Amino acid sequence: MIISLPFFAYLVLVAIVYRILPWSKIRVGFLSLSSLAFVAYLDRSAAVVTLCITVWTYLFAWLLDRYKKAIFLRIGIIGILGALIAFKYLGLLSGTLSHLAQFVSSLPDFRIENLLLPLGISYLTFKHISYLSDLNWKIAKRGSFLEFLSYSSLFTIFVAGPIERFSRYQPQLEENHQSWQNVWIGFQRIVFGLFKKLVIADWIGYFIQPWWDSASFWMRALALLGYSIQIYTDFAGYSDIAIGSSRILGLKIMENFNNPYFRTNMSRFWATWHISLSEWIRDYLFFPLSRVSRKVIWSLVCVPIITMAACGIWHGAAWHFMYWGIWHGAGIAVYQLWIYYKRKRKIKTPKTMGYQVLMGAITFTFVTIGWMWFR
Amino acid sequence: MQEKLIEFIIDEFVEEDDVVIDVDTKLISSGLIDSFSLVSLQQFIETEFGKRIPAPVITAESFDTVRQMIEIIERY
Repeated sequence: MIISLPFFAYLVLVAIVYRILPWSKIRVGFLSLSSLAFVAYLDRSAAVVTLCITVWTYLFAWLLDRYKKAIFLRIGIIGILGALIAFKYLGLLSGTLSHLAQFVSSLPDFRIENLLLPLGISYLTFKHISYLSDLNWKIAKRGSFLEFLSYSSLFTIFVAGPIERFSRYQPQLEENHQSWQNVWIGFQRIVFGLFKKLVIADWIGYFIQPWWDSASFWMRALALLGYSIQIYTDFAGYSDIAIGSSRILGLKIMENFNNPYFRTNMSRFWATWHISLSEWIRDYLFFPLSRVSRKVIWSLVCVPIITMAACGIWHGAAWHFMYWGIWHGAGIAVYQLWIYYKRKRKIKTPKTMGYQVLMGAITFTFVTIGWMWFR
Repeated sequence: MQEKLIEFIIDEFVEEDDVVIDVDTKLISSGLIDSFSLVSLQQFIETEFGKRIPAPVITAESFDTVRQMIEIIERY
């Protein structure tokens, strides 16, 4: 959706107006409204939902800031999660219940109306939860409503991230960082992203398409290998375009990928794949869940599997995404158990290049097999 | 505080006998401590010094060395 002529034309127009506006408050107001207008152009319901959730979150941020009571954090987050569940997962739940009902007693099929899934709801809700939590931890300032609205609706990263944090975003609004240097850096990044997406990812997708249906196991394995590269270059290319477009507006958005396929274990893979999501999962799910119990089995096995299952279902309202998440959670759990065992037994692993290559190959193979559930 | 942190890091994360950890050794960015293992460091700080450091603060940029850790622990 951001790889389209209207998007780039709109980006140029917004960048020019944003640059010539004199005061930061007017600039932020313009950025909020122009972003919301673009979201409405893509999906009108998404703009309405974005505005409603933004008002809700900001109201609870104000209450939290004023009264310093954790109850406002909890209610605020429950409301945000409620919106996510209502818009994204009710369809999945109703479908599953329907299948269960049919299986158990051959009852007639029942379905509640699948609710319209507003564009970007998953990213929006994660951004809002981090905002409220960071405000509670005093990591982020509340900011003005317009600053928060521009954070919620920023059109360059609205559809698929990166999931930027308000604490990093808001200080950039106070000064206009637009410059020719940033425009040039942003432009190069967009070109690089377009190359990854349109040349590498799309072409690989085109070539491997017939292989999926092949009777040969090896052809299907090759298709899976191709898909592994396709999905990386597709998403990393998209992230480059989103980061580059934001840079043209003078906004430095966090990186999302750092050569994840060259990592030697699952922990390092997740520290470099979809970084904005994995850091979010780590900060707001993995760490708090780890505090529930200090038992080894809980912290090394249960927590990674639960968090990665949640990460999986966040990608889409279908069970196969959860299986993909559990696969990755199991990979992290095995790695953590190995590290735990290694430290207890004082086992030393080789530091040779060959060993590193072998571990890299195992990690890549594990990740590639996992894409079977994702596709 | 400095000695306790270094002792814990050596016990918990260092495999080799000849590795020297001082206040400016890079721990996260060098790969010595991985992202998921940081939970145990957070829990150690909470138990030992009574300070709960929020997870978003524990990053490779702001929590990479023992010196940075001490600065943050003192702030909370």
